[in-house]
Amino acid sequence: MVNITSQYLLNLLLNGLLIGLIYGLMALGLTLIFSVLGIVSFAHGEFYMIGGYVVYYLLQAFADLEPMLAILAAGAVTFIIGVIFEILFLQPMGKGDIERPGEYAILLTFGLAFFLQHIMIGIVGPFPTKVSRFYDFIEMDAGWLRMNKATVWFFDMPFSSSRLIATGIAVFLTALMIWFMSKTWTGRGLQAVSQDRQAASVVGINPLRMNTLAFGLGTMLAGMSGAALVTVFAWVPWIGMAASGKAFVIIVLGGMGSMPGALLGGVVLGIVESLGAGLYPDPSKALAYKDAFGLLVFALVLLIKPTGFFGRKL
Amino acid sequence: MKRIPLQGKYIQGILLFLLLVFAFAFPRIMADKPYWLYVALQSFFWAMMAASWALLAGYAGQFSFAHVAFMGIAAYTSGIAGERLGWSPVSGIILGTVMAGFVGFLVGYLCLRLRSTYLALFTIAFSEIVRLIINAEHQLTGGPMGLYMEPLLETTSYVPTYYIMLAALIVTLLSMYAIANSRFGLFFRAIREDEEAAAAMGVHVVRYKIAAFVITAMIAGTAGALDHHIIGFIAPNELMIPRMSLIIAMAVIGGTESLISASIGAILIHFLMEWLQAIPVSEAMMAKLQANAATVQQFGLTLGDGVIQTNAWRMAFFGLMLMLTLRFWRNGLIQPLLEKIGRQGIAEETVAKRKLPQEENENTEVQP
Amino acid sequence: MKLEIKNVSKSFGGMQALNGVSITIDKPEIVGLIGPNGAGKTTLTNVIDGVHNPTRGEVWLNDERIDTFPPYQIARRGLGRTFQVTRAFRRMTVLENMMVPAMAINPTVSKKEVLEKSWDILRFLTVEHLANEYGRGLSGGQQKLLELARLLMLDPDFVILDEPFAGVHPKLQETIYGYIDKVRQEGKAIILISHDMDSIFTLSERLIVLNFGEIIADGHPDQVKEDPAVIEAYLGADEEE
Repeated sequence: MVNITSQYLLNLLLNGLLIGLIYGLMALGLTLIFSVLGIVSFAHGEFYMIGGYVVYYLLQAFADLEPMLAILAAGAVTFIIGVIFEILFLQPMGKGDIERPGEYAILLTFGLAFFLQHIMIGIVGPFPTKVSRFYDFIEMDAGWLRMNKATVWFFDMPFSSSRLIATGIAVFLTALMIWFMSKTWTGRGLQAVSQDRQAASVVGINPLRMNTLAFGLGTMLAGMSGAALVTVFAWVPWIGMAASGKAFVIIVLGGMGSMPGALLGGVVLGIVESLGAGLYPDPSKALAYKDAFGLLVFALVLLIKPTGFFGRKL
Repeated sequence: MKRIPLQGKYIQGILLFLLLVFAFAFPRIMADKPYWLYVALQSFFWAMMAASWALLAGYAGQFSFAHVAFMGIAAYTSGIAGERLGWSPVSGIILGTVMAGFVGFLVGYLCLRLRSTYLALFTIAFSEIVRLIINAEHQLTGGPMGLYMEPLLETTSYVPTYYIMLAALIVTLLSMYAIANSRFGLFFRAIREDEEAAAAMGVHVVRYKIAAFVITAMIAGTAGALDHHIIGFIAPNELMIPRMSLIIAMAVIGGTESLISASIGAILIHFLMEWLQAIPVSEAMMAKLQANAATVQQFGLTLGDGVIQTNAWRMAFFGLMLMLTLRFWRNGLIQPLLEKIGRQGIAEETVAKRKLPQEENENTEVQP
Repeated sequence: MKLEIKNVSKSFGGMQALNGVSITIDKPEIVGLIGPNGAGKTTLTNVIDGVHNPTRGEVWLNDERIDTFPPYQIARRGLGRTFQVTRAFRRMTVLENMMVPAMAINPTVSKKEVLEKSWDILRFLTVEHLANEYGRGLSGGQQKLLELARLLMLDPDFVILDEPFAGVHPKLQETIYGYIDKVRQEGKAIILISHDMDSIFTLSERLIVLNFGEIIADGHPDQVKEDPAVIEAYLGADEEE
């Protein structure tokens, strides 16, 4: 049993917040896909996974590569894959050529997840890989703030520098997305379609094009979240499943189709997980149950209030 | 699932009969290759899983991803009853089936108000929670290392267990066929088509939705408990979502609206998977591959004894097949084939129909 | 046979859809239910049918209180309805569509009986040639007829038809007229919701007008037509159509 000091609790909370912001970015992508295409992509986590691997392979091949470029590359790769998939398999749905589209989307994205996962197992193998932290922090000591290469102590509470960097990236990208959605024509077009497809098409916005863009952007956000987190977690090809799981929990918590909801949901999940793992009485099982907490919350929300905080009805 | 004219039914009947004969004779044919006997009996397990999922999803419209969880719960119940309480495998299987039914009831009840996507999400979450609990409670379940399951029969030959699984498959299919043709099947499909309209037509939606879950959970449970007593072991990774995806792939590629198609699809895919796992290559080819062993390994392939092991690639292949089938052959690959066979004689049937509308049409039945 | 809607109110969140609606139908008659869009006609149908529970008030069917019952129980007690958008079972044949309600309300009925009854009804609606067609293979008008046929398999005392004439060509309309006639003659009561004033005035023996969730008229069509409150709220319906 760990001594539960208020500092320990605060540490847990803040760590949860850090991770939660990154989850939020990933969920943002999923929400974008849902709000424009009307489907929940069950393959979202797999794009997160691919993003991480792109960074891994690039940094392996080019040791001096600026990590930010690798992250951008991860975004580009996942964007392209997403767009290709959307055009081949989802466009017909958008055109109304598919019977029972809801069922189709679920099974199809499930199949995509299965496909991507196993392709990656084939390419990468089942062994975990780790990418070392992107940057070394400078050594310094200012009492309330101490740093060395790998860790930052904020009032004596430790935070891994990898996590801090990842969160920084996530926050930056989130801000970028928000700017894009509200200030650019394309972004506003996406918003228009998400609110009312017919009305949007009547004013000249091409809903099918928007579908493709939204899906690509969504997978890109997932990919870049993975790219950011690849230094934090050991990466395996099935890490996408857990990521998908978290993304679902978040969008249900926050409300499907709501972007603020996705961010809020991400933070809530991060904190719940952190507290749950840190406070579960039996430490040998705490880690095993960490994922279960989010799932339990998720199941309960689905049963009690499926629309979550801010969502619209499915 | 179409109305099949009488003549076509005879042809289908003959085909199925031939298949049955082949199935019964299979152990004789494969007497010197027990490996393929094992593959066959495993494929029957998958057939039961795929067919029961087809009943739940294809017929009743409940696209649940908890199917492997039901299977796992039954198998683990049986295993734990055997390990901790000394129960015999048969009693364990019965207990496991009951347990699966009970959990199926619970899930069905919880899912009553959940529609498609939410249902999918909830059942995924449920499945994962079950798996995580099994993983964590290692004192009870053996944790990630798995649980020993007492073998059903003390025998070194796969022949008796093959026949047991075949019998189980046949009994299961017959029962499901009976259900599908009864008022259950009718109400399942009405609920699938339009729940509200079905209710307005007097269908007790709650009862039949839950019934669909309970029945298919119990079938999955029996199949799972039985199969794992034959394998002798169960581990929580069998409850992972990719296993569920495989079952879905089998049912979809076979045909979700036809129990027989789903079963055949599962059997074929399972055999194909096993064959793909170790593709025989010529000696010359093998030499070339061994010369480039490092590259081969980098591509996720391994070199075995005169074979290439495709490992994850065959799974990726089936994932791709699932997507393509959904996109281009929504009714599956096997089902349209069976229907085409049944279409023989449709010209005569139409003529006859004009003369005696009432009697002819009373003879048409629902295709399993 | 008696259907009593007693002072029913229904609100959704902040919106009041029905306000103190009371209607009693206790004999076979064709009751037209009209009102502007959003007046609450479909909401009223949903409350009667059990899709919604009233916020206040009660619904009684044959001296049994049904407002808390789910739709399938109400269907079994002899009240059937159609939907504004036709909802035939697409992946089932016409005959199978017919079998569903018959078997739902009667656990022991034999398939033979059900088929016989189905054929009778299909013949009456002149669609028996479609018996083995799938719902999705039918035209819009044929689907409408299927819904009407299916409804009769419930053997209901009360039938609510929600916009049965929407988008229907004249020949089909005649068939539906015949249907309504026959059903009325068999001693059932029909609540007919429609914007088609011609049909309403041709068929209705009684006319109820709903406006903003309240009943503003309930009586013989000729009287209601002249009612100033109705004219102000809703008519010149003659001009509208």
